[in-house]
Amino acid sequence: MSTSSRRRLRPDRIKELSLFGLIALSVVVFGSVVEGYLSGRFFNRVTTSVVVVVILAVAQSLVIVSRNIDLSVGSIVGVSAYLTADFLQSNAGANPVLAVVIAMAVGAALGAFNGAIVAYGGVPAIIVTLGTLALFRTLVSLYSGGANVTADVLPDWVIELNASTLVSAGGFDLRTTFLVAIGVVVVFQWVLARMRWGRRLYAIGSNPDAAAQAGIPARRLILLSYIGTGSLAGLAGFMFMVRVGTISATAGSGLELESVAAAVVGGVSILGGAGTILGAFLGALLIDTLRLSLVRVPQVSEFWRDAVLGILVLLAVIADSLLSRRLSGRVVDVSAVESATSSTATAVKGAADA
Amino acid sequence: MGELVPVLEMEDISKRFGATRALQDVALQLYPGEVHALVGENGAGKSTLIKIVTGIHSPDTGKMLMAGGEYSPRDPAEAQRQGVAAIYQEPSIFPDLSVAENIFIGHQGRGVLVDHRQMEREAVEVLARLDIELDPALPAGLLSVAGQQAVEIAKAMSLDAKVLIMDEPTAALSAHEVSRLFRQVERLKELGVALLFISHRLGEVFEISDRVSVFRDGHHISTRPTAEVTEESLIREMVGRDPADFFVRNPHPQGEVVLAVSDLGRRGVFDGISFEVRSGEVLGMAGLVGAGRTDVALALFGIAPAESGSIVIDGAEVVISSPRDALRNGIAYLSEDRRRLGLSLPQSITTNVTLATLPRYTSGLGVVDRAAERRDTAAIRERLGILAASLDTPVELLSGGNQQKTMLGRWLNAEPRVLILDEPTRGIDVGAKAEVHRFIDELARAGMAIIMISSDLPEVLAMSDRIAVMREGSLRGIRDRVDADQESVMALAVGVG
Amino acid sequence: MRSWIRSHRWESLLALILIATIVGNTIMAPVYLGVGNIVNLFWLSIEKIIVAVAMAFVIINGEIDLSVASVMGFSAAVLATLHENAVVPFGIAIIIALVVAALAGLIQGLAVTKLGIPSLVVTLAGLIGFRGAARVLLEDGSVGDFPEWFDRLGQRTLVGPLPFGLILFLVLLALGWFVLERTAFGRKVYVTGNNPAVAKYSGINVEWLKLRLLVMSAVVAGVAGILFAARLGSVRGSLAEFYELDIITMVLLGGVSIFGGSGSMLGVALAMFTVLNIRNGMGLANVDGIIQTGVVGTLLIGSALVPNVIQRFRVRFPTVGRYEPDAAEP
Repeated sequence: MSTSSRRRLRPDRIKELSLFGLIALSVVVFGSVVEGYLSGRFFNRVTTSVVVVVILAVAQSLVIVSRNIDLSVGSIVGVSAYLTADFLQSNAGANPVLAVVIAMAVGAALGAFNGAIVAYGGVPAIIVTLGTLALFRTLVSLYSGGANVTADVLPDWVIELNASTLVSAGGFDLRTTFLVAIGVVVVFQWVLARMRWGRRLYAIGSNPDAAAQAGIPARRLILLSYIGTGSLAGLAGFMFMVRVGTISATAGSGLELESVAAAVVGGVSILGGAGTILGAFLGALLIDTLRLSLVRVPQVSEFWRDAVLGILVLLAVIADSLLSRRLSGRVVDVSAVESATSSTATAVKGAADA
Repeated sequence: MGELVPVLEMEDISKRFGATRALQDVALQLYPGEVHALVGENGAGKSTLIKIVTGIHSPDTGKMLMAGGEYSPRDPAEAQRQGVAAIYQEPSIFPDLSVAENIFIGHQGRGVLVDHRQMEREAVEVLARLDIELDPALPAGLLSVAGQQAVEIAKAMSLDAKVLIMDEPTAALSAHEVSRLFRQVERLKELGVALLFISHRLGEVFEISDRVSVFRDGHHISTRPTAEVTEESLIREMVGRDPADFFVRNPHPQGEVVLAVSDLGRRGVFDGISFEVRSGEVLGMAGLVGAGRTDVALALFGIAPAESGSIVIDGAEVVISSPRDALRNGIAYLSEDRRRLGLSLPQSITTNVTLATLPRYTSGLGVVDRAAERRDTAAIRERLGILAASLDTPVELLSGGNQQKTMLGRWLNAEPRVLILDEPTRGIDVGAKAEVHRFIDELARAGMAIIMISSDLPEVLAMSDRIAVMREGSLRGIRDRVDADQESVMALAVGVG
Repeated sequence: MRSWIRSHRWESLLALILIATIVGNTIMAPVYLGVGNIVNLFWLSIEKIIVAVAMAFVIINGEIDLSVASVMGFSAAVLATLHENAVVPFGIAIIIALVVAALAGLIQGLAVTKLGIPSLVVTLAGLIGFRGAARVLLEDGSVGDFPEWFDRLGQRTLVGPLPFGLILFLVLLALGWFVLERTAFGRKVYVTGNNPAVAKYSGINVEWLKLRLLVMSAVVAGVAGILFAARLGSVRGSLAEFYELDIITMVLLGGVSIFGGSGSMLGVALAMFTVLNIRNGMGLANVDGIIQTGVVGTLLIGSALVPNVIQRFRVRFPTVGRYEPDAAEP
């Protein structure tokens, strides 16, 4: 009997479809309420502003699926943005690729620090990254000595990169930065869905004891995931520099909360083991779409930004817990290939089956 | 049938933990296509043996051979690679991953990429070899316990396990699921797997095994073909004493009705439950796993309250919607899951003993009267014989037996009118069982009304004044002790006749 | 004495560190041990340590409240907004601000107890949301000009050298210690944090307990926020931003396990004093605020890492300096 024909809708797909639906719904609703909403300009605004958070949401998901968290990503963004900007200030003729590499390397190093303490020091991730959130920020502060790197000392290509467009159609531009973000999403969606390394991260988050018993090298994998998160945060730092231009010692502050919010709204369960990168992407997109849309509504001030975010996170988490509760209620029993049974067995079977 | 070449051999295996000698000079052989049962009291060394075979511990002396070659795994992963797998009472799976991924997750040498479709196809094949049909894409967390166990067995098969250890695999299964498990075991035998089956349920041992070994106090006592042993001979070897020496309860006069339950129901779980318990009486509750006995107990204790019917204590109707209500009305409950629900380990004996009776020691302001606490705890310690340095000793430092006594002490301190014991001797060796039975008798003699839920029929028959039998959420009958025997009780439990 | 030290290892170690920091600071600035300076030391961070007392309860109970700093800001913002618009008398405004804080705690508490969502996530949402709500109310500006008695209460001493806030803190600390160590409620907090199932099966209403603690945490945060407003004389949307780091550090450094079930108010008090000393000392040495925070962050990691390392050391060398209790069976 073929089992693939009764492929039921997996929880991950349900979440992704709902998110997509919500985004579409908000676009429709706001499109009818706000003047000039469905324009290329708005599309471009969203796609450029969302880049950093999307990359961070992917980064955050990498550690959340294994039942960890990284609250220091905002500080990593700050460190890498500052160091990269500082580097470019002194080496104006440097290759852009080198700048990206530096940003990601810095992030990777910081991520390794996090990962080492979490994986090998046995300290809960929330504690470690709450501490490094402050510690890394201190590093920037020490390094910068209070000075900012202003946009005008950066090479021209940095500014150009922010505005550069690869494809344009009727006012709807696909900016390079956005495409990079999409690329990150595609790559890591594939990594977590198809690479053994990625599937094992899910296993660790789903049942750490069983993972240890199955011989999965959890500590090494968690360290690697933090290095991955750090590198992506470094990349986000590069993007941050490109977008913002002037980097101060407080650059990136607060982004860690947004990245967690995006992931959680995107269906990546804080308990680990569930959720997809695609979901995190949609979560980031939904949050940003809602925020930028609300601002367009005249009655709503821009200061609703964080309040909305908090409400969204709460709603997403409630929805997630309700969904998993409904699913777990349907306990599926094993069906056996029927074979000849004795009369006693039938009697027992008849008794115990309701 | 067994071949003459053993798949796994153990020679002169010994293991000490500090001052305790867990295993001494143990030798054992497992043959392919054979179910080898392992029985023995708690502390006999069974779980230590399993841990050594699966690589969690390494033996102090002796060696193990696998198909002739040396076998000394450093960890469970290596044991798995060498073809030794184990499943336990509680399945260990990844709830968020699919059935197929659960089966294949630990595998080496399958490359960097995962081909889900291919994996699911192979999963279906492996499952089919065990007569199991499951949707391979289903998240494993949605399966029943039996289903998850089936996945574990399939996982072992996919690893080409040559030896499969099953440690109390039937404890959480219904009778229907047990027989399905045994069918899977038959298939495994046909495939030539050597099975080590550990169980306290001697009935199952006789049903499924080809040979049975007895362990006692870390020694391997005997190994014989199952057809050549009887339950008495096994028990005698397990305990080293004659089973006739065990505690036998003599009936004694009972008092008034303490608890009267009338038409108690909870939708989808049980209904129409009516019975009475008198002071000094032991009411046994028999039935198969899943019949609803624990559910009735949880309703009486307020964890999962009844939706209909009435509960009457000492003639007055009471409403029980929380454990606090239950305790206030004199009902206490000793849960069957003692490991998880038993004790707060870092806290002292005193704290644990008085945990359910805090209101008694609390003044209006909420301050705890420590002197009174200590007084009562000392009395409990005396009565139960708890061995500890002091009453302030954190419970986690006590031995298993003393921990159990502390737990019982908590309920005794509540001075209940009705004490509900849920599988009080499950997982306890035969010798300690007698001690518990003696104590239950003492309590009854002192006037407590006791409800004893047990799946051990001989125990129910020996201890109870009357036996209530449940099946599928309803009470099928209450028999007096003199009118009951194993067959009639089982018949009620199973629904035949 | 010796057995007390043995069973309170963490607190003893902390006391040593504390003494070291005091000595170090005194060497740097001999006026350090003056009454005025000590009072000042506490006063400058009075809001943090008040909330830390409540946070200790929450973490011992096995939960966490990341939203405390945001609730501080939010209730202060509510007070300021009501005052600015002269909607109600100031005294009533204070009460309303506290009620709002209680509601914030109630919402989060219900999400945790009724919906079963981990407190980490709920209070993370609260952290974001209530900070945002404060910003919605105050936007970019600041509100001040509070009644004179209010400012006086927050900025001047009340009894001897002690300002109102410090008196309040001492009362709360003593109360917190007493409840935790001597009352049934405190007992329940510990046991529920250690093993909620055992607590439930012993007749403790776990849900109600957790709900009360989360509401209490928010109310205390509300009180601290209002106190902050009095002390500063004005309120911004960013009031108390990122304070949760220091607060949680104080609790964990005080020996409270992040997993719940253990810890003591004495330890938390020692840790508070230690953290304040360190910050004060760094301030005297003209160290930047951000760097001070970095040091606190390191302290946080260290306070969780060190016990683990010691534990691992113990496993490998079990008999080094160890007191042998009754052996437990394998």
